[in-house]
Amino acid sequence: MTKRAVGIFLSFVILTMPLSGCKTEKKRYQAQFLNLFDTVTEIIAYTNNKEEFEIYAKMIHDELKTYHQLYDIYEDYEGIVNLKTVNENAGKEPVKVDKKIIDLLKFAKYAYDLTGGKTNVALGAVLKIWHSYRQDGTDNPQNAKLPPLEMLENANLHSNIDDVVIDEINSTVFFKDKDLKLDVGAVAKGYAVEQVAKFASDMGVSSMLISVGGNICAIGNKDEDTPWNVGILNPNKEDEQKNLYVVNIKDMAMVTSGDYQRTYTVGGKQYHHIINPQTLYPAEYFTAVTVICEDSGLADALSTALFNMPFEEGFAFVEAIPKVEAVWLFKDKTTKYTFGFEGFIKE
Amino acid sequence: MFFKKNDIVILLIAIVIATAAIFAYNHFAKQLPVKAEIYHNGTLVKTVSLALGVDKTFSVPEEPQVVFRLHPDGKISFEKSDCPDRICISSGKLGRAGQSAACLPNGLVLKIVPVGKEQKDDVDIVIGH
Repeated sequence: MTKRAVGIFLSFVILTMPLSGCKTEKKRYQAQFLNLFDTVTEIIAYTNNKEEFEIYAKMIHDELKTYHQLYDIYEDYEGIVNLKTVNENAGKEPVKVDKKIIDLLKFAKYAYDLTGGKTNVALGAVLKIWHSYRQDGTDNPQNAKLPPLEMLENANLHSNIDDVVIDEINSTVFFKDKDLKLDVGAVAKGYAVEQVAKFASDMGVSSMLISVGGNICAIGNKDEDTPWNVGILNPNKEDEQKNLYVVNIKDMAMVTSGDYQRTYTVGGKQYHHIINPQTLYPAEYFTAVTVICEDSGLADALSTALFNMPFEEGFAFVEAIPKVEAVWLFKDKTTKYTFGFEGFIKE
Repeated sequence: MFFKKNDIVILLIAIVIATAAIFAYNHFAKQLPVKAEIYHNGTLVKTVSLALGVDKTFSVPEEPQVVFRLHPDGKISFEKSDCPDRICISSGKLGRAGQSAACLPNGLVLKIVPVGKEQKDDVDIVIGH
């Protein structure tokens, strides 16, 4: 009888073992920073202990900070030639820059060609006008105004990306058009996250989620066999806030472009910050577009480009690029997605 | 025969109970409640449990001018802030694990996390704010 009791007990132990997890597990840690790219940066990782995590988190913070300062078009940093310096001087003479700026601009030109100009970092003169109208409109909502089309069109005469001359050998940037300005908002965060994630992998990180203002890059799984779960928020405030989808990703990047980001209100209507290079006004096709692919820089550039294209055009465009998936949220709250997206949906 | 008939019966019963236990565990785990964490400049300064039926406002000592509100539906939001852009307030009500909202000018982040040990099924992060 005792033997039998032991047998029953053992059966229970064995059968319920999957519940307890008998391996020594890595623990989850997270950190956040508010001083990078004017947004919230979050790092989540599974490591053996807190010390290990803190070393990684600091390493990633410092690396991101380097990119943040180099790609900043609004602030100066002592001893650093960044894109603000480039914008101020590259119209007069070639400006010697860090390789990280050369590489970003090369990527930006690639993104321009790939998207047929729907993502254009040379649109800075136009975006600068929107930026200052949005700033004034936010500070003083009663007097919020839209920039006049003529003003935007004049600025748009100076947005030819071919006028941005990159000299890789001498590591310089020169603008053939002295009134051209760079604004790398559509690619810089995603590109920086991609480079930093590669750097982290090289340093031995095997399980980490990096998010810089919603530019997400997953390194590995969250543990041996469980992928990361990323929720795509339903931004419609009047609905109960729910995730549109929860997706499973491993070694993948995700970016959302939405019409609810960085907005201001003019005459009761909300205007957001993603400017369609064709109309020079905020694109109005969708509420949001999310892109999943292996490269965070590409995901960033493509989400902006898709946001600026009608659905049919964008769908055909993105289906022609291998291993890139997208989901569109329309203004009537319906969604559509690429064929491969379904494979990522968790629930 | 190595096994007695009764042993097999008992083993089967054990399997049934264990299976039921796994289902019950999963079911329970999926309904684990959430709590809110408030960070100031990256440091956790307050943890708030999100209970149904509570309607109140509060601040954290680090930024007393920023007001949070707990809603009766078990959600939490930024209610008032002195920041120029009000992005924190327009983030709306949060109540699902993985959601977050921030007030950058005041160095505040509000984050929803599961209560208790994290589960494999938990949403790690939410994008599209």
